[in-house]
Amino acid sequence: MANDTAINGNGSVADKEAKSVSFGVKDGLAKMLKGGVIMDVVNAEQARIAEEAGACAVMALERVPADIRAQGGVARMSDPQMIKEIIQTVTIPVMAKARIGHFVECQILEAIGVDFIDESEVLTPADAFHHVEKHPFTVPFVCGCRNLGEALRRISEGAAMIRTKGEAGTGDIIEAVRHMRAVNAEISKAKALDTMELRVMAKEIGAPYDLLKETAERGRLPVVNFAAGGVATPADAALMMQLGCDGVFVGSGIFKSGNAALRARAIVQAVTHFRDAKILAEVSGDLGEAMVGLNVGKLNDEEKLAKRGW
Amino acid sequence: MTANISVGVLALQGAFYEHLKLLKVAATQDNPDSTTTWRFLEVRTPAELSSCDALIIPGGESTTVALIAARCGLLEPLRDFVKVHRKPTWGTCAGLILLAESASRTKKGGQDLIGGLDVRVNRNYFGRQTESFEAEIHLPFLDAGKLGPNEPFPGVFIRAPVVEKILPQVTGEQLGEARLKDTVVAPARETGKRIENAVEVLGRLPGRSQLLKDKFGMVDLDNESGDIIAVRQHNVFGTSFHPELTQDVRVHIWWLNQVAGTVAITPKK
Repeated sequence: MANDTAINGNGSVADKEAKSVSFGVKDGLAKMLKGGVIMDVVNAEQARIAEEAGACAVMALERVPADIRAQGGVARMSDPQMIKEIIQTVTIPVMAKARIGHFVECQILEAIGVDFIDESEVLTPADAFHHVEKHPFTVPFVCGCRNLGEALRRISEGAAMIRTKGEAGTGDIIEAVRHMRAVNAEISKAKALDTMELRVMAKEIGAPYDLLKETAERGRLPVVNFAAGGVATPADAALMMQLGCDGVFVGSGIFKSGNAALRARAIVQAVTHFRDAKILAEVSGDLGEAMVGLNVGKLNDEEKLAKRGW
Repeated sequence: MTANISVGVLALQGAFYEHLKLLKVAATQDNPDSTTTWRFLEVRTPAELSSCDALIIPGGESTTVALIAARCGLLEPLRDFVKVHRKPTWGTCAGLILLAESASRTKKGGQDLIGGLDVRVNRNYFGRQTESFEAEIHLPFLDAGKLGPNEPFPGVFIRAPVVEKILPQVTGEQLGEARLKDTVVAPARETGKRIENAVEVLGRLPGRSQLLKDKFGMVDLDNESGDIIAVRQHNVFGTSFHPELTQDVRVHIWWLNQVAGTVAITPKK
């Protein structure tokens, strides 16, 4: 208890929960999604497959990242009509993506009644400098990060949930691992620092000092943290869970594979039993072809979606 | 009397860690005279479930939890745990849905229920996430348990269900409910002995219009017309809100006391 008193005494955790009532409700939904798999879907039929597979939420978007990559062009918020159809079709939460900085797309998504907005680097950014100010919205936001500084900047803007960016649409897990390990390493470092040193670190990583201090005290990000960007197999999903994620987003990995329903179910099982190698072995068998994938090492820097946002 | 009591938290999906954290705090603030040694564990397999004396089914997505439970071979053991072995069980939000004998507005094709509470729940009664809210609620059972008389409890409602109907006690399935459109029921269990206890309403939220007028106002305790948000039948307890998302440990302390009472009078297997 001594430790808790210290946290309350410093004011950051307790004050935030006392003042920002609606943030507790936003963070609350994120916590309900923990230990689950959120799947990208492009129509109501795929949303039903995802729901039956055990997805804890679906992400409605017009094209999965692999197709956005292949087809090029400007990727925008999905057609509200399509999102409404998905909302009417499934009972699990429905998320949708808005372009970085495009606060009007966010206003529209909130008006439709989506349960979560992903301000996402997978879509073409609408603003070269600014991310959406997320606190004024009633709907909660999830945002991508490559490192601790980026995660804390998004939380400071009001994000109630963080995900690693990974490299969407590749089926290559290397970037998701890189980003998760970066966040973990920086949290370990922060935990060992005293107050004066933490102030320097906050400046170095471009993060608000109060949030960095709270992260150091908790030994984890102050909000729910999922993995995203490159998860293609049950083993990938369990790898991210063992690295400390709270759950997993799967984009192209499911509906770009040979048997979507089977693979989706297997990834759900893998996230629940992420430490049980015997179950992981069972669910990994006979899934048909995984998505073909792109090797991130062979992508040019301009082709990397994770570079979008700051 | 010394007792070792194992309390499991179903860890298939959802906010199970938050329950475990608060249970550990509650155990330290337990009755000082108590000699109970508590063990808290995550439950993902039938073997882990069978080692438990009591269980919490946390919030999460009820469809997801039901599907995973069925695939892990846990659905039938869970029904036996609640309805045959009659071990104390508490469900929050999604957990309340799973413990209901009847549920409306479930996904297409319905969903599996565990059952144990003769109630019908309305899933996502308040609407989508933008309608989620916090409200101070009054829980008279906490007063009776001397856990902070008249202190309102911070109720967190996330896409929350409510109990929309208390059902008659029947042996076997709720057949009347099964005939309703878009409603699913839990399958029957041979219990051997019939449970005499009726469903008790342990908490209400005042009418929705009043709530929207003053979202964070006090609950009028005398208002019997409010939505039912906490129920108990025998040793099955359900809440549509999330005590585990708060730092208020009173409901957890109260429930552990109930568990301790039940386990003490039930000889171990």
